[in-house]
Amino acid sequence: MLMVRKSIPKAWQFSLGIASILLLVGGYTVFSHGRAVRQKEVAAQQLDNVRNLLSEVLATPADELDPASLAKRQSKIHDYEAQITRFEQESQTAIDRTVPTWSSLYHDGLLRVLSPQGLKKDEYWLAEDAWATFIRLISGLGVGVALSLIIGILMGAYASIESFFLPPLSFLAKIPPTAMMAIFFILVGTSYQMYVTMIAFGVLPTLAQSIYQSAKKDVPENLIFKAYTLGASSLELIWNVIYKQILPRLIDAVRLQIGPAMVMLVAAEWMVSSAGFGYRLRLFYQRTDMTVIFVYVLILGVAGLVADYLLTLLRRKLCPWFGD
Amino acid sequence: MSNTRPNCVLHCQGVSHWFGSNRVLNNINLEITAGQIVAVVGPSGCGKSTLLRAILGTHPPKAGQIIANGHPVTRPNRDVGIVYQNYSLFDFLTARDNVAFGLMLDQTTLPERLFGYFQWRKLRSQHRQQALDLLEKVQLSKAANLYPHEMSGGMRQRVAIAQALIMEPKILLLDEPFGALDEATREELQLMLLRLYDENLQAKAAGQTPPYTILIVTHELNEALYVSDRVIGLSQYHQDGANGATIVYDKQAPVFKAGDARDFEQFETQKDELRKAVFTPSATRHHSEFVTFWNEHDKAFAP
Ligand SMILES: Nc1ncnc2c1ncn2[C@@H]1O[C@H](COP(=O)(O)OP(=O)(O)OP(=O)(O)O)[C@@H](O)[C@H]1O
Ligand SMILES: [Mg+2]
Repeated sequence: MLMVRKSIPKAWQFSLGIASILLLVGGYTVFSHGRAVRQKEVAAQQLDNVRNLLSEVLATPADELDPASLAKRQSKIHDYEAQITRFEQESQTAIDRTVPTWSSLYHDGLLRVLSPQGLKKDEYWLAEDAWATFIRLISGLGVGVALSLIIGILMGAYASIESFFLPPLSFLAKIPPTAMMAIFFILVGTSYQMYVTMIAFGVLPTLAQSIYQSAKKDVPENLIFKAYTLGASSLELIWNVIYKQILPRLIDAVRLQIGPAMVMLVAAEWMVSSAGFGYRLRLFYQRTDMTVIFVYVLILGVAGLVADYLLTLLRRKLCPWFGD
Repeated sequence: MSNTRPNCVLHCQGVSHWFGSNRVLNNINLEITAGQIVAVVGPSGCGKSTLLRAILGTHPPKAGQIIANGHPVTRPNRDVGIVYQNYSLFDFLTARDNVAFGLMLDQTTLPERLFGYFQWRKLRSQHRQQALDLLEKVQLSKAANLYPHEMSGGMRQRVAIAQALIMEPKILLLDEPFGALDEATREELQLMLLRLYDENLQAKAAGQTPPYTILIVTHELNEALYVSDRVIGLSQYHQDGANGATIVYDKQAPVFKAGDARDFEQFETQKDELRKAVFTPSATRHHSEFVTFWNEHDKAFAP
């Protein structure tokens, strides 16, 4: 058997990573393409059937019929011709909105969310949704991080504050934030403030706890005593020692909370919003139109990766001593 | 010994400490004057670190009083410096900034640094220069810009000592500072202490107060006798040992210069005496039998 933890060459690591992505993209291509081809075949089949039916109808001479039958024949011909036009089109280009092909994703998904839509052609979906979601996320996280930082550091620094906040935090951290949504909708409404409150309160218990743990464990007692012998005041101890020491962990903790915050946000937008990623996803879900949905899902994934990377960069910049 | 000597920087008066029923320190009386380098030896677990923590003020004794620089010690402050065996440096600061850290904390406040930013910047470059000078003194100027995780154990301890010294503490406490280091590094750091002692002698000769007063805990008897000018034995092996450890040995130690040969042969007699007084569990004599430092000192300096 392969040895556990055996290292592999860099080139291999890289190729395997690429391979997995190619597999994902290729798999989707084959799957969506296959569906499209089958759909075309079905359409061609149906086209044949209708053509046969039409020729049968045309084969019966019109002049032997009474007026009622004649009208019936006429409407049949009309109906078949309409079907033929449709099937002709479908056998050329399949319109599958459940598993759209790449080209459909591009034309019906990406181009649609980028170009003006609506009756007055003044709606830019992606820009509007991204902005709405982004501003809610940033404000919510900002408030949540600020509160968590204050509570967490003070808890790590003062036993009395620790004893006071620990029970409610441990309790709140165990409640799934989505279960709290109804409470937020009713108490705060469905405005911008609601999203901020919801995200802030959603991330606070976990974030405050991890900051508090870090403030306690990552700052050895001796270091605190040492700082006092160097003439530090308690305020300086908090800012110049504890905060500085836990900053890298803080950034990592925030990075890890973006995911849960997005879960809450998209879910809430899905339910009550009229703008934002969650809102648009719901609209297209109701039409079982996956073109826009897939595009949005891809964008969300990429945005998450970018946010992750940026915060890692920030940590490296601010805490060069921390290593990777 | 209740009347304080001139130049006294540390005075422990009847210090006792216990953890529940475990009586650790038993009526410790100790006076240290400026310029002394005092080594503390004793069996493992006898309470050396406990005594140091009491002097530092982080864990005040249950009974008795400790006076540093004329003030009772109630919490850690800038008069008493400390170097621990490890975890002594701030991870997020370079060697140089670790050393300059104390100057910043001691001489400025957070609001001053925030609201008087430009003044602070000027002061800061002075601090960093001072730190660099001190690093040079402990032969570490090359490592000035390294972070603690990039330094060896010996380098770290040297930075930690510089970090404490820059505060010019009335007394510097070292708790087994070289315990985790290899022999060669240990020797280098011992020489560093000897050089500090040399500065003390020069200051005394010039009629000034000697700048460095150090209390160093060590496991190594050779090290204790080599770097110090006074050796103290802390031990529970004495008549009243059931009530905890006290000072059972207090004598002068031979003085070395940094350039002298490390001739440990001459320690043998004193080491035997130390083993007998401090490290022999069956000892039941009165604790003061080997506590003669101040008597000899006073005889020697009698008018
Ligand atoms: N926080 C504590 N709670 C309970 N007992 C303690 C505590 N700290 C120390 N002790 C006890 O006090 C005694 C002295 O401990 P201390 O660490 O001072 O010894 P030490 O002389 O420094 O030993 P070593 O040479 O091994 O460092 C030991 O018996 C130890 O078990
Ligand atoms: Mg100890």
